Amino acid sequence: MTNSCVMLIEADLLIRTPLAQYLRDCGFQVVEAFGAAEARDILASTGVRVDTILMDADAPEENGFMFKVWVRANHPGIAMILAGSIERTAEKAGELCEEGPAVSRPYDHKLVLQEIRRRLATRNGNRDDPQNSGE
Amino acid sequence: MVSQPKTETDATPECVLVVDDDAAIRLVLADTLRDAGFCVIEARSGTDAVSYLRSGGRVDLIFSDIQMPGSIDGLQLARHVRAAYPAIPVILTSGKYKAEYLDSTKNFVPKPYALDHVLALITQILGLTDNADK
Repeated sequence: MTNSCVMLIEADLLIRTPLAQYLRDCGFQVVEAFGAAEARDILASTGVRVDTILMDADAPEENGFMFKVWVRANHPGIAMILAGSIERTAEKAGELCEEGPAVSRPYDHKLVLQEIRRRLATRNGNRDDPQNSGE
Repeated sequence: MVSQPKTETDATPECVLVVDDDAAIRLVLADTLRDAGFCVIEARSGTDAVSYLRSGGRVDLIFSDIQMPGSIDGLQLARHVRAAYPAIPVILTSGKYKAEYLDSTKNFVPKPYALDHVLALITQILGLTDNADK
């Protein structure tokens, strides 16, 4: 079975690396990007099949809400999860997206895992969800 | 055939810090190394790499591009590592620089590089093959 692929967009290496490793340990393929520009580059040039994107709503380079709009327009098959840490992000999300941040920063790795699995189950009827490892 | 980094006596994979501002190149190399059993940390800049090193995260080898944005390029990173973390070997890569111009490290791989060559070099430097030459 091909593992589901999560693109983790997080500028802070010290935050991104342990979360990426945790998700790999849980059976996901993880693609790491520092920001929206890198994410676009990876999606355009590598041919990697991304199922889910997790991104900080307040990413410094380009905020997650704008990137989500771009993903929805250009890669509608990819589920996108925004992570937010302040109330204003939820308000901004409401203006641009159907739903606001689904997970909070700093990341709780298990909650992130649960949210990814929930999104995959919703979209794919649980077909691509890795086995229940890491719980 | 390159040896796997995991051995019978060492279950913990060797950690390679890959530093490159080109996401596609970094991703392909990182995936190759992970497929070979290495733990890989991805950094986009020398600054990111130094931050990770200062955090105390395990790094057994650094593979870094030379030309990168920010205040610390690959050459400066190599000098810093040699001074502060002398046990960590550094491999530099570049599409512009030539090996003869470099004094920071004896390990240089010109771009474009073959993934098998890089994997073999890393494996050799980390002493994971019989003919290791660290």
